[in-house]
Amino acid sequence: MAQTTVASEYSSEVHAEPIEHRFNPYSDNGGTILGIAGEDFAVLAGDTRQSEGYSIQSRSMSKVFDVGDNILMSANGFAADGDALVKAFQNQLKWYHFNHNKELSIHSAARLTQQLLYGKRFFPYYVHTILAGVDEEGKGAVYSFDPVGSYEREQCRAGGAAASLIMPFLDNQVNFKNQMDPSSNGTKKKELRYLSLQEVVNLVKDAFSSATERHINVGDALQIVIVTKDGARTEYHSLKKD
Amino acid sequence: MVGKDCVAIASDLRLGSQSLGVSNNFEKVFNFGHVFLGLTGLASDVTTLSETFRFKTNMYKMREDRLIEPETFANLVSSTLYEKRFGPYFVGPIVAGINSKTEKPFICGFDLIGCIDFAKDFIVAGTASDQLYGMCESVYEPNLEPEDLFETISQALLNAADRDALSGWGAVVYVITKDKIVKRYLKSRQD
Amino acid sequence: MAGLSFENYQRNQFLAAKGHGVPKATSTGTTIVGCKFKGGVVIAADTRATSGPIVADKNCEKLHRLSPKIWCAGAGTAADTEMVTALISSNLELHSMSTSRAPRVVTALTMLKQHLFKYQGHIGAYLIVAGVDPTGSHLFSVQAHGSTDIGFYQSLGSGSLAAMAVLESNWHEDLDKEGAMKLCSDAIQAGIWNDLGSGSNVDLCVMEVGKDAVLYRNHLTPNVREQKASSYKFARGTTAILKEDIFKLIDVEEETIHSEAMEVDA
Repeated sequence: MAQTTVASEYSSEVHAEPIEHRFNPYSDNGGTILGIAGEDFAVLAGDTRQSEGYSIQSRSMSKVFDVGDNILMSANGFAADGDALVKAFQNQLKWYHFNHNKELSIHSAARLTQQLLYGKRFFPYYVHTILAGVDEEGKGAVYSFDPVGSYEREQCRAGGAAASLIMPFLDNQVNFKNQMDPSSNGTKKKELRYLSLQEVVNLVKDAFSSATERHINVGDALQIVIVTKDGARTEYHSLKKD
Repeated sequence: MVGKDCVAIASDLRLGSQSLGVSNNFEKVFNFGHVFLGLTGLASDVTTLSETFRFKTNMYKMREDRLIEPETFANLVSSTLYEKRFGPYFVGPIVAGINSKTEKPFICGFDLIGCIDFAKDFIVAGTASDQLYGMCESVYEPNLEPEDLFETISQALLNAADRDALSGWGAVVYVITKDKIVKRYLKSRQD
Repeated sequence: MAGLSFENYQRNQFLAAKGHGVPKATSTGTTIVGCKFKGGVVIAADTRATSGPIVADKNCEKLHRLSPKIWCAGAGTAADTEMVTALISSNLELHSMSTSRAPRVVTALTMLKQHLFKYQGHIGAYLIVAGVDPTGSHLFSVQAHGSTDIGFYQSLGSGSLAAMAVLESNWHEDLDKEGAMKLCSDAIQAGIWNDLGSGSNVDLCVMEVGKDAVLYRNHLTPNVREQKASSYKFARGTTAILKEDIFKLIDVEEETIHSEAMEVDA
């Protein structure tokens, strides 16, 4: 029998796969975090909105924690995993104190975090983690991690929902990327320098207020934790609630 | 971006096929008289549409014996895109210009099926749009002079493009005032 | 233009299947409401347009004019609400000219639902249609598939549940104009604060029997951004330039000079 010519090929658009129902153990709870290292301090900031889909679950959920030993930690993404990771870290830290009777340094805290994350390599904590503190030389330190434990020490890092909005702004304002010395006629790069605490706090506030304007999962309030060798201190600022 | 009696429009120069860079000289900003059109997206659609608009604006010029104004052109773009509602061009257009009658700056952006986004401050489009939103929202301020607007739009574009794997490879900026257009190629990272 | 073109449809299916990123259409996440009162009807909307989790437009207009006294609020695919509204508005005007009568709300509603039904829901417009005509004041809603509803109060969009909660608890039959305006803006605000797809300002339109419709653009603006902590104005010369071209715009005046007719084919 002769093959009939189909006028359009839309008839081939049939979906033959059987319908599969499955439990998804992960969800995205939005929010954004940001860490910046200064000369002798570091800040870790996060918004306090927790959301799922188009609904707000909480307008005042802290996600930056002072986990002890002058270490700040925040794990942003799937909130339950974030909490679980911080709890696991605090637990390990307690055992470290029992066993070694000394403070955990920031670089060791980073390595510990890697072990905790990679330990769940095939059922990962669904989070972007940032650690902030002061290193053994007294310099501000920020470490950032991917969900399975790959990490790096950096001057600054944004994580979570609006990371892509904030990160280029940080490159530009913290590391002076793409900025030239105005008097050099575009031949010399603008010289790098450490930002003061006030400059950093202002930068964080503006980064978050900007992210709030353009990202629906960011808003309500901003929690900024500042850590120096003398301890940690928290500031709260309001963000837009729409 | 809108400044004081001026507008600026900028784009990178990369043309790529996924992660492979193909050209570092692919301009995405076109002008039809004093109206500027930025077109990002599928390269073949960028070229097709820019030619379509060249044709349509030339026809407009002959019928009306005057150049098309930015506001009119925006509606032309919108209806041209919506005509293909169920088989759209994969593009993200931006219109910028100064109305030659009222001398008012005008910018607007579109989604791929022609919904107009009228904004007073800035419009972004393309693969680095998230990064651009972040940059513009924090760095932009209203009523900048042309020279300051150039710095602001350039820094916004350059830093946003550097955080997007699919953007960069050079950049071009047009600063448009009512009687002068300044086109500058920027020095940027080439990776 | 003779109808919509499907030219690129198959190409795009292929491109999408091959894994190329498909650009997102802006949707008006949206809270829209409408409510009747003694002698008229009010509709209201928020002003946020989103593309995924990103706010594409902070102050867009979701209240569209179908005719001078029939307005409609749109949710769903932004371009569709805009275009379907413009089309029906145009046809309504032609219809009223050919019948020499003021357009009726049911006419607009019927034209909308027949158009949307024809496209089987592919035109993603969810509308609240309201207005006054010679038969009184009316309030309807239309879904993208073409079904319609009638009611004393309506809400649509991602914030419709938040808004409906307010409408259900505070609406009563003998609402006056001010009461209806307050109720509608409260319902929209419920969406603005509690629904992530809605935000920014409240737009409002009041249509009263025997009066011109009044549009209150940005009736409430509870979300003005506060001053930034510092200015990020760059010093001139911060950006490195490779090459600069300057084009001066000049006026060209053309003058046709009439002279002796040229000799052709002498």
